[in-house]
Amino acid sequence: MKNKKFYLFTLFLVLLFPVAAQQKFVVSGYVKDAKTGEDLIGASITVKEIPGIGAASNAYGFYSITLPAGQYQVISRFLGYTPQIENVDLKSSKKIDFNLTEQSNELGETVITSQRKNENVTQLQMGTQKLNSKELKNIPVLFGEKDILKTIQLLPGIKAAGEGSSGFNVRGGAVDQNLILLDEATVYNASHLMGFFSVFNSDAIKDVTIYKGNEPAEYGGRLSSVLDVKMNDGNDKKVGVSGGIGLISSRINIEGPIVKNKGSFMISARRTYADLFLKLSNDTSLNQASLYFYDLNAKANYKINDKNRVFLSGYFGTDVLGFGDTFGVNWGNTTGTLRWNHLFSDRLFSNTSLVYSNYNYKIKIKTSQVMNIISRIQDVGIKQDFQLFESGKSTLKFGFNSVFHKIIPGVITANDTTLNSLTNKNALENALYISHQYKISDRLSLEYGSRFNMFSQLGPGNFYTYDTKGATIDTTQFGTGKIVKTYYNIEPRATFNYLINEQSSVKMAYARNVQNLHLLSNSTSGNPTDLWISSSNNVKPEIADQVSLGYYCNLKENEYEFSAEVYYKSLQNQIDYKNGAELNFNDNVESQILFGDGRAYGLELFLKKKYGRFNGWISYTLSRTERKFNEINSGNYYPARQDRTHDLSIVGIYELNKRWTLSGTWVYNTGNAVTFPTGKYTVDGITKLYYSDRNANRMPAYHRLDLGATWTNKKTDKFESSWTFSLYNAYGHDNAYTITFRDSETDPTKTEAVQTTLFKFIPSVSYNFKF
Amino acid sequence: MNTTSSQIVIQGNLDDLEGPDTIKISRSVDFDQASIFPAVTGAAVTITSNVGDTAILTEISEGIYVTDSLQGVAGRTYTLNVLTEGKTYTASSTMPNAVAIDSIYFEKSLFGQEKLITIDFKDPTNSTNFYRFIQFINNAELSQFNVMDDKYINGKEYSYSFYRMRMNNDQSLESGSTVQIWLESIDEGVYNYFRTAGSDGRNSSSPANPNTNLTNGALGYFNACSIRKIATIVP
Repeated sequence: MKNKKFYLFTLFLVLLFPVAAQQKFVVSGYVKDAKTGEDLIGASITVKEIPGIGAASNAYGFYSITLPAGQYQVISRFLGYTPQIENVDLKSSKKIDFNLTEQSNELGETVITSQRKNENVTQLQMGTQKLNSKELKNIPVLFGEKDILKTIQLLPGIKAAGEGSSGFNVRGGAVDQNLILLDEATVYNASHLMGFFSVFNSDAIKDVTIYKGNEPAEYGGRLSSVLDVKMNDGNDKKVGVSGGIGLISSRINIEGPIVKNKGSFMISARRTYADLFLKLSNDTSLNQASLYFYDLNAKANYKINDKNRVFLSGYFGTDVLGFGDTFGVNWGNTTGTLRWNHLFSDRLFSNTSLVYSNYNYKIKIKTSQVMNIISRIQDVGIKQDFQLFESGKSTLKFGFNSVFHKIIPGVITANDTTLNSLTNKNALENALYISHQYKISDRLSLEYGSRFNMFSQLGPGNFYTYDTKGATIDTTQFGTGKIVKTYYNIEPRATFNYLINEQSSVKMAYARNVQNLHLLSNSTSGNPTDLWISSSNNVKPEIADQVSLGYYCNLKENEYEFSAEVYYKSLQNQIDYKNGAELNFNDNVESQILFGDGRAYGLELFLKKKYGRFNGWISYTLSRTERKFNEINSGNYYPARQDRTHDLSIVGIYELNKRWTLSGTWVYNTGNAVTFPTGKYTVDGITKLYYSDRNANRMPAYHRLDLGATWTNKKTDKFESSWTFSLYNAYGHDNAYTITFRDSETDPTKTEAVQTTLFKFIPSVSYNFKF
Repeated sequence: MNTTSSQIVIQGNLDDLEGPDTIKISRSVDFDQASIFPAVTGAAVTITSNVGDTAILTEISEGIYVTDSLQGVAGRTYTLNVLTEGKTYTASSTMPNAVAIDSIYFEKSLFGQEKLITIDFKDPTNSTNFYRFIQFINNAELSQFNVMDDKYINGKEYSYSFYRMRMNNDQSLESGSTVQIWLESIDEGVYNYFRTAGSDGRNSSSPANPNTNLTNGALGYFNACSIRKIATIVP
């Protein structure tokens, strides 16, 4: 007890008086790529003379480290780059920028991680995976378009929501329980073309981190995970063009300096043209169809002076699905982020962001008049983050986040006059957070903190209360800006890392996450027209508590990386629907919902070979995820749809020679939990299906092999090019996308199951260039 | 596939037209069995109304119970009572006012060149209405039926087109065929049954049995409805 008090007291002192006794100075600056000027995120800074302390560059490449006066060798490392050593004679605080040079890609040196060699062992965070675009290059994918959302689905604990889907389930969570951020803006629907592509254009993406429920306190808003995607800043040294031409899509990326070494821009665009092939068809129902998407990522940044830098980034995407001019559905995301980095001192880094996000869809039907159905969710917010580098051992992060959400659930217009509209929903979400990262000893470090969340549903509008049958029992009218209901939640988070030795560690974490926006989807695959609702007088915030424990070790001088993590997650206020729920265009949609609990637990194993001509990984997850609703299955726990007992991914990449790289991935998972009919009966001369328990059945197990090959043309200083070939589902396994039931055509007294398979033997080829 | 205990299935219709009204009672079978559904014989079946009408139905063949004595009147609430194997199943349904069909004609489909049967009718202003549309081609009832409410058409003239499902083996619209359309005015409980029975929940991620107005776990429905009919010949 005494020790504990003493420890807390010490911690307090460290927090308040970081530079008390000895004369100390600060070394700070930025870590960048020497060739392109891109900030390097998560580069390590160490001091040769004091092995216990170090720093990592933040999301903007900034680092700061506090040292006693003296002579030092300060080293910056970033994997795939040559380390840089600076000799420092520290008599006063100093600014040192590191410009690291990318190692030439000799045979057997394929970059497979952006992390420091034993980063997975030493880093504090657990349940975290990082990827950069380079890692995607050789992994075969559907239609040949490399895709960050498809690649993360090959990692432990992260599962594809369905064949070819961009949706994913993290540790038994639903698809809407993932917070997907693109330069801090929420992306509400990360799918293009029904999910076969994601909104993330890998040319425009610098860095992706996924936190599987143990995210640091600066993140919040979803139960299961945070996928933090950061765009490239653009080359600030010279103009470059790169692109790719594929069978069904093409893309181009242009970047360059605005003012050399001070500012740069990046523009990246894509368009698919799958529907051009439909035009060749003689079938009138096909050749008039349109089915495509285009999207654009753009970013610019400018360094005003040593203390101030601004960034502006945006994403614009639209999907079009239509038939002639009689019917069409368009949907898309727009995001925008304006950021200002400011250094209050060489130890206090600040970022202020204004964030905008919009997701909308529009259904158009043209008969004698033009009917439109429009729906939208829109966010406008401000985010303030401070990062105080107290010493080489202690970092404090704190800030706030305020977002105004506006949901327009549906408006129907005919010839531009409004026929009908559902009540718009407004909500204000405020959060404060504080988090302290502290290295107690060479062996033990921790991060602890909390998020304080306040969510208010606001007027104007009529707000209803319902009885258990869903009938309206009370209606209250609220004026503009009046608070209908406020929820306060505290979300404590903590992570410990104990280093057993340089090669192995044990980590432990606890986190509470709260979610106030919920997606209502009753379809098997997820639709662009699925509806978001906010917490309200009828809908309580979803809450998850997760504890996890992990063991990490590296073998053969960090050539192999191994991790094992176990987690248990308890879920409150989960949402399901009443039988026969009417979710479409219903002002009383909240009366169609059931509330219950859930639990999820599992074991995740990961073995990665990081270097060598042959590299890749094996990822295995053993898990269970269950829900419990009084109204379903007599109030007993039952498997959630995404419950999959086994999930295995094997990724292998082999560099045959300087020209050819071969790759393969194999995935296997237990089928989803589904409800199949147990009986049948007849009404009105039709055979109808009888269902008993929810999710008591299983889809068949899913497995698939994909193969890829990349041929790289001889590189010159001016021009690089490569050809990528891939074959999706190479042995043509009939994976069940859906199973439906119908009367047998040959024997009408029998009912048969019909399996739909989407993709077998899908080849693709694309040509990529860069100059 | 799992097996399940057999369930009672009741299909009951009472309308405002002359002629017998029929209640069919059968049982469900396991999914793997042949689609031969055992009739429930010897049940005691009655229909009563809130104004005291009573009919005791006669079993004219196995599982088919009929009354000739009862003609439905709009505005009355009818209660079906079925007693079989020691269990009682009931359902109530209120017969709405009839809505007339003004005209029938053929309209070109938005998709392709097909002709769609279309009817015009006027939705009454002062009531919440629910409709069920049934098609007969050459006197054969199509297995596909549709229901709608008047949420978006209240008090309006409305043209309803019957979209055709290609996968259906029902008769196609050939020149010279007789087409008959029934417009059933149904109550909300029956509407909810047909709304949730329409797709059988097959496209839902969590399919479930339709919302029935019958008690005690019976499947099916009891529908007291007003019917108006119109017929034409395909040009």
